[in-house]
Amino acid sequence: MSQTENLILGISIVVFLLAIFVVSFVLFMKTPAPKGCEDIKISEENCSKCGKTECAFYKKAEEEK
Amino acid sequence: MNMFISFLLAIISSMLVDNVVLSRFYGICPFLGVSKKVKSSLGMGIAVVFVILLATLICWPLYHFVLVPAGIAFLDTVVYILVIASLVQLVGLFIKKYSPSLYKSLGIYLPLITTNCAVLGVAQSNTDQGLTFLESLGNGLGTSVGFLLVIVVFSCIRVRLESANTPKAFKGLPIALIVAAIMAIAFMGLQGLFVGLGS
Amino acid sequence: MAKEKGKTKANLLKGIINENPLLVSILGTCPALATTKTVEAALGMGLLFTIVLICSNILVSLLRKLIPEEVKTPAYIVIIATFVTMVKMFTNAFLPELYSTLGVFISLIVVNCIVLGRAEAYASKNKVFDSFIDALGMGIGYTLAIILMAFFRELLGTGAFTFGKIFTFIPLTKVQIIPKGYEISLFQNPAGAFIVFSIILAVIAFIKNRKAELVAYNEKQEKIRKLQEAKAQAAKVEGGNK
Repeated sequence: MSQTENLILGISIVVFLLAIFVVSFVLFMKTPAPKGCEDIKISEENCSKCGKTECAFYKKAEEEK
Repeated sequence: MNMFISFLLAIISSMLVDNVVLSRFYGICPFLGVSKKVKSSLGMGIAVVFVILLATLICWPLYHFVLVPAGIAFLDTVVYILVIASLVQLVGLFIKKYSPSLYKSLGIYLPLITTNCAVLGVAQSNTDQGLTFLESLGNGLGTSVGFLLVIVVFSCIRVRLESANTPKAFKGLPIALIVAAIMAIAFMGLQGLFVGLGS
Repeated sequence: MAKEKGKTKANLLKGIINENPLLVSILGTCPALATTKTVEAALGMGLLFTIVLICSNILVSLLRKLIPEEVKTPAYIVIIATFVTMVKMFTNAFLPELYSTLGVFISLIVVNCIVLGRAEAYASKNKVFDSFIDALGMGIGYTLAIILMAFFRELLGTGAFTFGKIFTFIPLTKVQIIPKGYEISLFQNPAGAFIVFSIILAVIAFIKNRKAELVAYNEKQEKIRKLQEAKAQAAKVEGGNK
Protein backbone atom coordinates (compact mmCIF):
# COMPACT_ATOMS: atom_id res chain seq x y z
CA MET A 1 0.00 0.00 0.00
CA SER A 2 1.18 3.49 -0.68
CA GLN A 3 1.72 6.20 1.88
CA THR A 4 -1.40 8.12 0.93
CA GLU A 5 -3.59 5.06 1.14
CA ASN A 6 -2.25 4.32 4.60
CA LEU A 7 -2.93 7.85 5.67
CA ILE A 8 -6.48 7.75 4.38
CA LEU A 9 -7.06 4.39 6.04
CA GLY A 10 -5.69 5.67 9.34
CA ILE A 11 -7.79 8.79 9.29
CA SER A 12 -10.90 6.83 8.35
CA ILE A 13 -10.34 4.36 11.21
CA VAL A 14 -9.96 7.16 13.72
CA VAL A 15 -12.99 9.00 12.35
CA PHE A 16 -15.02 5.79 12.42
CA LEU A 17 -14.11 5.10 16.05
CA LEU A 18 -14.77 8.70 16.96
CA ALA A 19 -18.20 8.47 15.35
CA ILE A 20 -19.00 5.36 17.40
CA PHE A 21 -17.83 7.11 20.53
CA VAL A 22 -19.82 10.27 19.88
CA VAL A 23 -22.99 8.36 19.03
CA SER A 24 -22.75 6.15 22.09
CA PHE A 25 -21.84 9.13 24.27
CA VAL A 26 -24.85 11.14 23.14
CA LEU A 27 -27.14 8.10 23.40
CA PHE A 28 -25.86 7.40 26.90
CA MET A 29 -26.53 10.96 27.96
CA LYS A 30 -30.01 10.94 26.45
CA THR A 31 -31.11 7.61 27.90
CA PRO A 32 -33.08 8.30 31.06
CA ALA A 33 -31.87 6.58 34.16
CA PRO A 34 -33.98 3.60 35.21
CA LYS A 35 -36.64 3.96 37.88
CA GLY A 36 -35.30 4.38 41.35
CA CYS A 37 -31.83 5.44 40.23
CA GLU A 38 -32.60 8.97 39.10
CA ASP A 39 -30.71 10.70 41.84
CA ILE A 40 -27.82 8.37 42.55
CA LYS A 41 -24.88 10.49 43.48
CA ILE A 42 -21.53 9.78 44.94
CA SER A 43 -21.70 11.30 48.35
CA GLU A 44 -18.79 12.84 50.12
CA GLU A 45 -18.64 10.11 52.74
CA ASN A 46 -18.29 7.42 50.08
CA CYS A 47 -15.41 8.95 48.22
CA SER A 48 -12.61 11.34 48.75
CA LYS A 49 -12.16 13.18 45.50
CA CYS A 50 -10.31 11.48 42.70
CA GLY A 51 -10.69 14.47 40.37
CA LYS A 52 -12.52 12.63 37.63
CA THR A 53 -14.36 15.40 35.85
CA GLU A 54 -17.12 13.16 34.56
CA CYS A 55 -18.11 12.17 38.08
CA ALA A 56 -21.36 13.63 39.33
CA PHE A 57 -19.83 14.56 42.65
CA TYR A 58 -16.99 16.46 41.00
CA LYS A 59 -19.43 18.43 38.87
CA LYS A 60 -21.44 19.37 41.91
CA ALA A 61 -18.35 20.49 43.77
CA GLU A 62 -17.24 22.52 40.76
CA GLU A 63 -20.60 24.28 40.56
CA GLU A 64 -20.47 25.17 44.21
CA LYS A 65 -17.10 26.76 43.66
CA MET B 1 -0.23 -27.27 27.33
CA ASN B 2 2.65 -24.86 27.06
CA MET B 3 0.27 -22.15 25.98
CA PHE B 4 -1.99 -22.85 28.91
CA ILE B 5 0.92 -22.57 31.33
CA SER B 6 2.01 -19.24 29.90
CA PHE B 7 -1.61 -18.05 30.21
CA LEU B 8 -1.67 -19.10 33.85
CA LEU B 9 1.72 -17.54 34.55
CA ALA B 10 0.58 -14.29 32.96
CA ILE B 11 -2.46 -14.23 35.26
CA ILE B 12 -0.50 -14.94 38.42
CA SER B 13 2.34 -12.59 37.65
CA SER B 14 0.12 -9.64 36.79
CA MET B 15 -2.23 -10.29 39.70
CA LEU B 16 0.14 -10.89 42.58
CA VAL B 17 3.80 -10.53 41.70
CA ASP B 18 3.56 -7.38 39.64
CA ASN B 19 0.34 -6.04 41.10
CA VAL B 20 -1.26 -3.32 39.05
CA VAL B 21 -1.67 -0.78 41.83
CA LEU B 22 1.08 -1.59 44.26
CA SER B 23 3.94 -2.19 41.87
CA ARG B 24 3.02 -0.85 38.45
CA PHE B 25 1.12 2.19 39.79
CA TYR B 26 -1.79 2.08 37.36
CA GLY B 27 -5.11 3.31 38.64
CA ILE B 28 -3.95 5.07 41.78
CA CYS B 29 -6.66 7.73 41.41
CA PRO B 30 -9.66 5.39 41.92
CA PHE B 31 -7.58 3.37 44.38
CA LEU B 32 -7.34 6.40 46.65
CA GLY B 33 -10.58 8.08 45.61
CA VAL B 34 -13.22 5.34 45.69
CA SER B 35 -12.01 3.25 48.59
CA LYS B 36 -13.72 4.80 51.58
CA LYS B 37 -16.52 2.24 51.64
CA VAL B 38 -16.20 -1.47 50.92
CA LYS B 39 -19.37 -1.46 48.84
CA SER B 40 -18.27 1.32 46.52
CA SER B 41 -14.81 -0.15 46.06
CA LEU B 42 -16.38 -3.49 45.16
CA GLY B 43 -18.55 -1.79 42.54
CA MET B 44 -15.59 0.07 41.09
CA GLY B 45 -13.46 -3.08 41.02
CA ILE B 46 -16.06 -5.19 39.25
CA ALA B 47 -16.69 -2.48 36.68
CA VAL B 48 -12.93 -2.29 36.01
CA VAL B 49 -12.65 -6.07 35.57
CA PHE B 50 -15.47 -5.99 33.04
CA VAL B 51 -14.09 -3.10 31.00
CA ILE B 52 -10.47 -4.30 31.00
CA LEU B 53 -11.46 -7.73 29.71
CA LEU B 54 -13.59 -6.27 26.93
CA ALA B 55 -10.91 -3.74 26.01
CA THR B 56 -8.24 -6.45 25.78
CA LEU B 57 -10.53 -8.58 23.64
CA ILE B 58 -11.01 -5.74 21.17
CA CYS B 59 -7.71 -3.85 21.24
CA TRP B 60 -5.34 -6.78 20.63
CA PRO B 61 -6.97 -8.00 17.38
CA LEU B 62 -7.45 -4.43 16.26
CA TYR B 63 -3.74 -3.73 16.63
CA HIS B 64 -2.44 -6.94 15.07
CA PHE B 65 -4.96 -7.40 12.27
CA VAL B 66 -5.73 -3.81 11.28
CA LEU B 67 -3.17 -1.26 12.48
CA VAL B 68 0.02 -3.25 11.84
CA PRO B 69 -0.85 -4.53 8.33
CA ALA B 70 -1.95 -1.04 7.35
CA GLY B 71 1.33 0.40 8.60
CA ILE B 72 -0.29 2.81 11.02
CA ALA B 73 0.80 1.22 14.29
CA PHE B 74 1.74 4.66 15.62
CA LEU B 75 -1.94 5.47 15.99
CA ASP B 76 -2.32 2.87 18.73
CA THR B 77 -2.84 5.25 21.67
CA VAL B 78 -5.53 7.26 19.89
CA VAL B 79 -7.32 4.11 18.76
CA TYR B 80 -7.15 2.47 22.18
CA ILE B 81 -8.50 5.43 24.07
CA LEU B 82 -11.35 5.77 21.58
CA VAL B 83 -12.16 2.06 21.84
CA ILE B 84 -12.10 2.18 25.62
CA ALA B 85 -14.17 5.34 25.82
CA SER B 86 -16.84 4.07 23.45
CA LEU B 87 -16.82 0.69 25.16
CA VAL B 88 -17.51 2.34 28.48
CA GLN B 89 -20.35 4.36 27.00
CA LEU B 90 -21.87 1.34 25.25
CA VAL B 91 -21.70 -0.83 28.35
CA GLY B 92 -23.20 2.01 30.36
CA LEU B 93 -25.96 2.42 27.79
CA PHE B 94 -26.74 -1.29 27.86
CA ILE B 95 -26.86 -1.44 31.63
CA LYS B 96 -28.95 1.70 31.86
CA LYS B 97 -31.49 0.30 29.45
CA TYR B 98 -31.78 -3.34 30.47
CA SER B 99 -30.57 -3.84 34.00
CA PRO B 100 -31.64 -1.26 36.56
CA SER B 101 -30.30 -3.32 39.44
CA LEU B 102 -26.85 -3.49 37.88
CA TYR B 103 -27.04 0.20 37.08
CA LYS B 104 -27.78 0.93 40.68
CA SER B 105 -24.59 -0.73 41.85
CA LEU B 106 -22.18 -0.07 38.95
CA GLY B 107 -23.72 2.88 37.11
CA ILE B 108 -21.91 5.69 38.85
CA TYR B 109 -18.51 4.09 38.46
CA LEU B 110 -18.69 3.34 34.75
CA PRO B 111 -17.99 6.87 33.45
CA LEU B 112 -14.99 7.11 35.75
CA ILE B 113 -13.30 4.14 34.12
CA THR B 114 -12.50 5.92 30.86
CA THR B 115 -9.79 7.86 32.65
CA ASN B 116 -8.57 4.95 34.75
CA CYS B 117 -4.92 4.43 33.86
CA ALA B 118 -5.22 0.68 34.35
CA VAL B 119 -7.41 0.12 31.30
CA LEU B 120 -5.29 2.04 28.82
CA GLY B 121 -2.15 0.86 30.55
CA VAL B 122 -3.04 -2.79 30.05
CA ALA B 123 -4.04 -2.36 26.43
CA GLN B 124 -0.88 -0.40 25.69
CA SER B 125 1.55 -2.67 27.52
CA ASN B 126 0.00 -5.76 25.91
CA THR B 127 1.04 -4.59 22.49
CA ASP B 128 4.23 -2.79 23.57
CA GLN B 129 5.60 -5.99 25.08
CA GLY B 130 4.50 -8.06 22.10
CA LEU B 131 2.41 -10.55 24.08
CA THR B 132 0.38 -13.22 22.31
CA PHE B 133 -3.40 -13.05 22.39
CA LEU B 134 -3.72 -15.63 25.17
CA GLU B 135 -1.00 -13.96 27.21
CA SER B 136 -2.63 -10.55 26.87
CA LEU B 137 -5.93 -12.03 27.92
CA GLY B 138 -4.18 -13.50 30.95
CA ASN B 139 -2.52 -10.17 31.62
CA GLY B 140 -5.88 -8.37 31.39
CA LEU B 141 -7.61 -10.87 33.65
CA GLY B 142 -4.79 -10.90 36.19
CA THR B 143 -4.44 -7.12 36.23
CA SER B 144 -8.12 -6.47 36.68
CA VAL B 145 -8.65 -9.13 39.34
CA GLY B 146 -5.52 -7.85 41.08
CA PHE B 147 -7.02 -4.37 41.07
CA LEU B 148 -10.30 -5.70 42.51
CA LEU B 149 -8.44 -7.62 45.21
CA VAL B 150 -6.27 -4.74 46.29
CA ILE B 151 -8.96 -2.07 46.26
CA VAL B 152 -11.33 -4.21 48.34
CA VAL B 153 -8.64 -5.11 50.88
CA PHE B 154 -7.56 -1.48 51.03
CA SER B 155 -11.10 -0.23 51.62
CA CYS B 156 -11.58 -2.78 54.42
CA ILE B 157 -8.51 -1.36 56.14
CA ARG B 158 -9.58 2.21 55.54
CA VAL B 159 -12.93 1.66 57.22
CA ARG B 160 -11.06 0.68 60.34
CA LEU B 161 -8.66 3.60 59.99
CA GLU B 162 -11.57 6.01 60.33
CA SER B 163 -11.89 5.22 64.00
CA ALA B 164 -8.17 4.91 64.64
CA ASN B 165 -6.35 7.55 66.63
CA THR B 166 -3.95 8.94 64.02
CA PRO B 167 -1.90 12.13 64.33
CA LYS B 168 -3.86 15.11 63.04
CA ALA B 169 -1.57 15.80 60.08
CA PHE B 170 -1.79 12.19 58.92
CA LYS B 171 -5.61 12.04 59.00
CA GLY B 172 -7.20 10.96 55.73
CA LEU B 173 -4.99 10.44 52.72
CA PRO B 174 -1.48 10.36 54.27
CA ILE B 175 -2.23 7.47 56.61
CA ALA B 176 -4.03 5.66 53.79
CA LEU B 177 -0.86 6.00 51.72
CA ILE B 178 1.20 4.54 54.57
CA VAL B 179 -1.19 1.58 54.58
CA ALA B 180 -0.68 1.27 50.83
CA ALA B 181 3.09 1.28 51.39
CA ILE B 182 2.82 -1.56 53.90
CA MET B 183 0.63 -3.47 51.46
CA ALA B 184 3.24 -2.88 48.76
CA ILE B 185 5.93 -4.31 51.02
CA ALA B 186 3.72 -7.35 51.63
CA PHE B 187 3.26 -7.83 47.90
CA MET B 188 7.00 -7.48 47.35
CA GLY B 189 7.34 -10.72 49.29
CA LEU B 190 5.41 -12.48 46.55
CA GLN B 191 8.20 -11.80 44.09
CA GLY B 192 9.86 -14.97 45.31
CA LEU B 193 6.93 -16.92 43.88
CA PHE B 194 8.53 -17.36 40.49
CA VAL B 195 11.89 -18.31 41.91
CA GLY B 196 10.14 -21.24 43.50
CA LEU B 197 8.42 -22.16 40.27
CA GLY B 198 11.77 -22.14 38.52
CA SER B 199 10.77 -19.92 35.63
CA MET C 1 -2.17 47.27 32.33
CA ALA C 2 -0.54 46.73 35.70
CA LYS C 3 -3.72 45.12 36.92
CA GLU C 4 -3.71 42.82 33.90
CA LYS C 5 -0.14 41.85 34.66
CA GLY C 6 -0.96 41.10 38.27
CA LYS C 7 -3.85 38.92 37.20
CA THR C 8 -1.62 36.94 34.86
CA LYS C 9 0.92 36.45 37.61
CA ALA C 10 -1.75 35.26 40.02
CA ASN C 11 -3.06 32.90 37.35
CA LEU C 12 0.41 31.47 36.87
CA LEU C 13 1.17 31.16 40.57
CA LYS C 14 -2.09 29.50 41.54
CA GLY C 15 -1.10 26.37 39.64
CA ILE C 16 2.24 26.26 41.39
CA ILE C 17 1.17 26.89 44.97
CA ASN C 18 -2.49 27.23 45.94
CA GLU C 19 -3.98 24.80 43.44
CA ASN C 20 -0.98 22.58 42.87
CA PRO C 21 -2.44 19.68 40.89
CA LEU C 22 -0.49 16.96 42.67
CA LEU C 23 -0.03 18.19 46.21
CA VAL C 24 -3.29 20.06 46.77
CA SER C 25 -5.81 18.56 44.36
CA ILE C 26 -4.20 15.07 44.49
CA LEU C 27 -4.52 14.53 40.74
CA GLY C 28 -2.24 12.63 38.39
CA THR C 29 -0.89 10.40 41.10
CA CYS C 30 -0.04 7.46 38.84
CA PRO C 31 2.96 8.98 37.00
CA ALA C 32 3.94 10.85 40.16
CA LEU C 33 4.56 7.57 41.92
CA ALA C 34 5.81 5.57 38.97
CA THR C 35 8.32 7.88 37.31
CA THR C 36 10.02 9.40 40.33
CA LYS C 37 12.85 6.95 40.85
CA THR C 38 15.36 9.53 39.68
CA VAL C 39 15.20 13.30 39.46
CA GLU C 40 16.05 13.13 35.78
CA ALA C 41 13.15 10.84 34.90
CA ALA C 42 10.79 13.04 36.91
CA LEU C 43 12.06 16.12 35.08
CA GLY C 44 11.49 14.40 31.73
CA MET C 45 8.01 13.30 32.71
CA GLY C 46 7.13 16.78 33.92
CA LEU C 47 8.45 18.30 30.71
CA LEU C 48 6.41 16.02 28.44
CA PHE C 49 3.36 16.50 30.63
CA THR C 50 3.68 20.29 30.51
CA ILE C 51 4.02 20.27 26.73
CA VAL C 52 0.89 18.16 26.30
CA LEU C 53 -1.05 20.26 28.79
CA ILE C 54 -0.09 23.55 27.11
CA CYS C 55 -0.88 22.30 23.59
CA SER C 56 -4.21 20.79 24.53
CA ASN C 57 -5.25 23.80 26.58
CA ILE C 58 -4.44 26.17 23.71
CA LEU C 59 -6.29 24.09 21.12
CA VAL C 60 -9.32 23.52 23.35
CA SER C 61 -9.46 27.22 24.09
CA LEU C 62 -9.22 28.05 20.37
CA LEU C 63 -12.03 25.65 19.54
CA ARG C 64 -14.20 26.43 22.55
CA LYS C 65 -16.91 28.09 20.48
CA LEU C 66 -16.89 25.42 17.76
CA ILE C 67 -17.26 22.30 19.88
CA PRO C 68 -20.91 21.57 20.73
CA GLU C 69 -21.72 21.11 24.39
CA GLU C 70 -22.87 17.50 24.03
CA VAL C 71 -19.68 16.13 22.46
CA LYS C 72 -17.22 18.08 24.59
CA THR C 73 -15.62 15.13 26.35
CA PRO C 74 -15.06 12.99 23.21
CA ALA C 75 -13.53 15.94 21.40
CA TYR C 76 -11.16 16.74 24.26
CA ILE C 77 -10.07 13.12 24.55
CA VAL C 78 -9.18 12.99 20.85
CA ILE C 79 -7.30 16.29 21.03
CA ILE C 80 -5.28 15.15 24.04
CA ALA C 81 -4.59 11.72 22.52
CA THR C 82 -3.31 13.32 19.33
CA PHE C 83 -0.87 15.55 21.19
CA VAL C 84 0.29 12.64 23.31
CA THR C 85 1.00 10.59 20.19
CA MET C 86 2.98 13.47 18.73
CA VAL C 87 4.98 13.95 21.92
CA LYS C 88 5.57 10.20 22.08
CA MET C 89 6.98 10.11 18.56
CA PHE C 90 9.21 13.13 19.15
CA THR C 91 10.55 11.60 22.35
CA ASN C 92 11.22 8.32 20.61
CA ALA C 93 13.13 10.15 17.90
CA PHE C 94 15.17 12.64 19.90
CA LEU C 95 15.39 11.29 23.45
CA PRO C 96 15.22 7.49 23.11
CA GLU C 97 16.56 6.97 26.65
CA LEU C 98 13.73 9.02 28.10
CA TYR C 99 11.27 7.07 25.95
CA SER C 100 12.47 3.71 27.22
CA THR C 101 12.63 4.90 30.84
CA LEU C 102 9.11 6.28 30.97
CA GLY C 103 7.72 3.52 28.76
CA VAL C 104 3.97 3.22 28.85
CA PHE C 105 3.59 6.25 31.09
CA ILE C 106 4.02 8.60 28.14
CA SER C 107 0.86 7.12 26.62
CA LEU C 108 -0.86 7.33 29.97
CA ILE C 109 -0.69 11.14 29.90
CA VAL C 110 -3.91 10.75 27.85
CA VAL C 111 -5.81 9.54 30.87
CA ASN C 112 -4.13 11.88 33.33
CA CYS C 113 -6.98 13.53 35.20
CA ILE C 114 -5.23 16.91 35.17
CA VAL C 115 -5.17 17.39 31.40
CA LEU C 116 -8.82 16.55 30.85
CA GLY C 117 -9.75 18.39 34.02
CA ARG C 118 -8.03 21.63 32.97
CA ALA C 119 -9.56 21.39 29.49
CA GLU C 120 -13.05 21.04 30.92
CA ALA C 121 -12.79 23.32 33.89
CA TYR C 122 -10.64 26.13 32.49
CA ALA C 123 -9.74 26.12 28.80
CA SER C 124 -13.32 25.57 27.61
CA LYS C 125 -14.39 28.80 29.30
CA ASN C 126 -11.43 31.13 28.97
CA LYS C 127 -9.39 33.01 26.39
CA VAL C 128 -6.37 31.51 24.67
CA PHE C 129 -3.74 33.50 26.54
CA ASP C 130 -5.29 32.83 29.94
CA SER C 131 -5.53 29.14 29.14
CA PHE C 132 -1.88 29.11 28.12
CA ILE C 133 -0.81 30.74 31.38
CA ASP C 134 -3.04 28.37 33.35
CA ALA C 135 -1.52 25.36 31.62
CA LEU C 136 2.00 26.71 32.15
CA GLY C 137 1.38 27.23 35.85
CA MET C 138 -0.19 23.83 36.31
CA GLY C 139 2.59 22.15 34.33
CA ILE C 140 5.34 23.84 36.32
CA GLY C 141 3.54 23.09 39.58
CA TYR C 142 3.22 19.43 38.67
CA THR C 143 6.82 19.20 37.50
CA LEU C 144 8.14 20.78 40.69
CA ALA C 145 6.00 18.47 42.80
CA ILE C 146 7.24 15.30 41.15
CA ILE C 147 10.83 16.55 41.23
CA LEU C 148 10.41 17.07 44.97
CA MET C 149 9.28 13.46 45.31
CA ALA C 150 12.08 12.18 43.10
CA PHE C 151 14.61 14.22 45.10
CA PHE C 152 13.85 12.35 48.31
CA ARG C 153 13.49 8.99 46.60
CA GLU C 154 16.79 9.23 44.77
CA LEU C 155 18.67 10.74 47.67
CA LEU C 156 17.51 8.19 50.23
CA GLY C 157 17.27 5.25 47.86
CA THR C 158 20.61 5.46 46.08
CA GLY C 159 22.50 8.00 48.14
CA ALA C 160 23.56 9.86 45.01
CA PHE C 161 22.23 12.02 42.21
CA THR C 162 22.98 10.83 38.71
CA PHE C 163 22.62 13.13 35.72
CA GLY C 164 23.25 12.46 32.07
CA LYS C 165 21.77 9.00 31.91
CA ILE C 166 18.51 10.09 30.28
CA PHE C 167 19.38 13.48 28.85
CA THR C 168 22.47 12.15 27.12
CA PHE C 169 23.62 15.56 25.91
CA ILE C 170 24.71 16.29 29.49
CA PRO C 171 27.98 14.62 30.49
CA LEU C 172 27.41 11.72 32.89
CA THR C 173 27.91 12.99 36.43
CA LYS C 174 27.28 11.31 39.73
CA VAL C 175 27.19 13.20 43.00
CA GLN C 176 27.48 10.88 45.98
CA ILE C 177 25.90 12.44 49.06
CA ILE C 178 25.17 9.56 51.41
CA PRO C 179 28.17 7.25 51.61
CA LYS C 180 27.83 3.89 49.92
CA GLY C 181 26.30 1.18 52.06
CA TYR C 182 24.15 3.62 54.02
CA GLU C 183 21.40 4.13 51.45
CA ILE C 184 17.90 2.75 52.08
CA SER C 185 16.98 0.94 48.90
CA LEU C 186 13.35 0.66 50.03
CA PHE C 187 12.85 4.16 48.72
CA GLN C 188 13.60 2.98 45.20
CA ASN C 189 10.85 0.36 45.55
CA PRO C 190 7.12 1.06 45.11
CA ALA C 191 6.61 1.10 48.87
CA GLY C 192 9.06 3.99 49.18
CA ALA C 193 7.06 6.00 46.68
CA PHE C 194 3.95 5.67 48.81
CA ILE C 195 5.83 6.61 51.96
CA VAL C 196 7.46 9.70 50.45
CA PHE C 197 4.15 10.89 48.97
CA SER C 198 2.40 10.29 52.28
CA ILE C 199 4.95 12.25 54.27
CA ILE C 200 4.90 15.18 51.84
CA LEU C 201 1.11 15.31 52.09
CA ALA C 202 1.30 15.07 55.87
CA VAL C 203 3.74 17.98 56.04
CA ILE C 204 1.41 20.06 53.88
CA ALA C 205 -1.55 19.12 56.09
CA PHE C 206 0.52 20.03 59.16
CA ILE C 207 1.34 23.47 57.77
CA LYS C 208 -2.29 24.02 56.85
CA ASN C 209 -3.47 22.97 60.29
CA ARG C 210 -0.95 25.30 61.89
CA LYS C 211 -2.14 28.21 59.80
CA ALA C 212 -5.78 27.47 60.61
CA GLU C 213 -4.93 27.21 64.32
CA LEU C 214 -3.06 30.50 64.19
CA VAL C 215 -6.01 32.24 62.56
CA ALA C 216 -8.41 30.75 65.08
CA TYR C 217 -6.12 31.78 67.95
CA ASN C 218 -5.83 35.34 66.68
CA GLU C 219 -9.59 35.57 66.32
CA LYS C 220 -10.07 34.30 69.84
CA GLN C 221 -7.56 36.83 71.22
CA GLU C 222 -9.33 39.59 69.36
CA LYS C 223 -12.66 38.51 70.82
CA ILE C 224 -11.27 38.40 74.37
CA ARG C 225 -9.72 41.82 73.93
CA LYS C 226 -13.01 43.28 72.73
CA LEU C 227 -14.90 41.66 75.59
CA GLN C 228 -12.47 43.10 78.10
CA GLU C 229 -12.72 46.51 76.52
CA ALA C 230 -16.48 46.36 76.71
CA LYS C 231 -16.25 45.31 80.35
CA ALA C 232 -13.89 48.15 81.16
CA GLN C 233 -16.24 50.53 79.41
CA ALA C 234 -19.15 49.23 81.41
CA ALA C 235 -17.20 49.50 84.64
CA LYS C 236 -16.28 53.10 83.81
CA VAL C 237 -19.89 53.97 83.12
CA GLU C 238 -20.94 52.33 86.36
CA GLY C 239 -18.23 54.18 88.26
CA GLY C 240 -19.41 57.47 86.76
CA ASN C 241 -22.94 56.76 87.85
CA LYS C 242 -21.85 56.27 91.45
